[in-house]
Amino acid sequence: MTALTTLEEKPDGAPPADSAARRPATQFGTAAMAIAIVIGLLLGYAGGLLTPDFNRPGDTSAEAGFARDMTTHHAQAVEMGLIAFKNGTDREVQTIGSDIALGQQGDIGIMQAWLRSWELDPTGSEPRMAWLPDGTEMIRDGLMPGMATAEQMTQLREARGTELDVLFLELMITHHIGGIHMVDALLDQSDEEDVVQTAQTMKNTQQTDLTNLRNALERIQG
Amino acid sequence: MSISTPGGPERHPTVASTAKKSAGGRPASGKSGSGKPAGGRPGSGKPAGGRPGSGKPAGGQRGGKKPRKPITPVKVTQERNWGPIALFVAVGVLAVAIVGYGGWATFQGSKPWDERANEIAGIVNYREKDPELVAGGNHQQGSIQYSVLPPVAGPHNDAWQNCMGDIYDAPIASEHAVHSLEHGAVWITYQPDLDAGQVEKLAERVRGNEKLFLSPFEGLDKAISLQAWGYQLKVDNADDGRIDDFIKTLKVNASVEGPTALCAQGVTATGTTPRELGPQMPQ
Repeated sequence: MTALTTLEEKPDGAPPADSAARRPATQFGTAAMAIAIVIGLLLGYAGGLLTPDFNRPGDTSAEAGFARDMTTHHAQAVEMGLIAFKNGTDREVQTIGSDIALGQQGDIGIMQAWLRSWELDPTGSEPRMAWLPDGTEMIRDGLMPGMATAEQMTQLREARGTELDVLFLELMITHHIGGIHMVDALLDQSDEEDVVQTAQTMKNTQQTDLTNLRNALERIQG
Repeated sequence: MSISTPGGPERHPTVASTAKKSAGGRPASGKSGSGKPAGGRPGSGKPAGGRPGSGKPAGGQRGGKKPRKPITPVKVTQERNWGPIALFVAVGVLAVAIVGYGGWATFQGSKPWDERANEIAGIVNYREKDPELVAGGNHQQGSIQYSVLPPVAGPHNDAWQNCMGDIYDAPIASEHAVHSLEHGAVWITYQPDLDAGQVEKLAERVRGNEKLFLSPFEGLDKAISLQAWGYQLKVDNADDGRIDDFIKTLKVNASVEGPTALCAQGVTATGTTPRELGPQMPQ
């Protein structure tokens, strides 16, 4: 019985219940425990706050770099696609143009939403393509692989008729090849499920596009 | 010790170990837990856990006490208690400081863009200064008088200036440029007589980057002026790092219409007269 009483009392009044000899140590123990618990809780809380930041892609991650650079790469494809849709004379050039423009604009929305959910700016702090090995060396005059130059874009805007159809197809083939190269670089590095899945979809789409673009070019040039 | 004795076998190991060393206390409480019925254990287990914790400092004190102070036992006990507590607290504070710094750094990095924008030295925030100006985004034909030059917001032409990293070598119509700002572009302008090397440094930042465009602007009071919707920053030199801060912080972020607003399909011509509505749009 005594044993039981002691057991019950201890949780509540451990310090007073103890003998005089024990008291100092127990009091100290209570204080130490309290401090330890508070510190532990604080550390745990801080850790909990930080964990999402450690888990989601950072500012210099391959995922963030891909989202930003592919947004820019896609944006030019949208521009080219809209020109083809508007000025193309070949029906397939028009349909492919609208398909690419709307599809890639949708991708841009997805990628920008990632960046927002990762609490990152749409603009990176590192150079273009810094997220992939030797990536920065692939930049030509500020342009990522496959992108058309300002002169080529002017040419595309001014072209009409079959000249436009052919130019669009050629520029878009080059554009897609560069884009697939960038997607492959992301797939090599990332294990972020949603990013990988979206990138894989981009690759599938662009590979199918490539076949159709090449066939169309062959047909038009006859 | 006297209390633990009546407690029976369960108590003995716990208390005994507590007095000697903390490491011993834990296994002891574990044993008692396994040995006795479930009902009694949880209650006894917790206090037992607490004691080992208290036992640690106590043991340490005792060990340190003997060599240090052979004086009155009472005082010694109290003083001994403070040493480990101080250590405990010091280590704790250090740990919290380290984790706290990491948290603070991360927090700083993820600060909202508008807070970071206000931290750019010299930036003029027209969203705060002139909310009415920034609110207006209606389409309007013909020339528009802007109160701020180069303009940072306001009514604008239905057509926007192409802002796909376009580099214009002559002044462009503000009426189109403001529309591009509304779409999230940053418009970099410079005095027409700015040194070609300086202009090239600006062009390097713009070329190949959508939501950016560059043009000379007549009558600038500083060499370079950057515009985003509702924001302006004027600097003297193209090497100024604030140019990059402005672009990173405000490009797309300052957009009224979000990241998918178009920069393509805009006016690619130069000239300060805005396009009139009509069938002449095809360039």
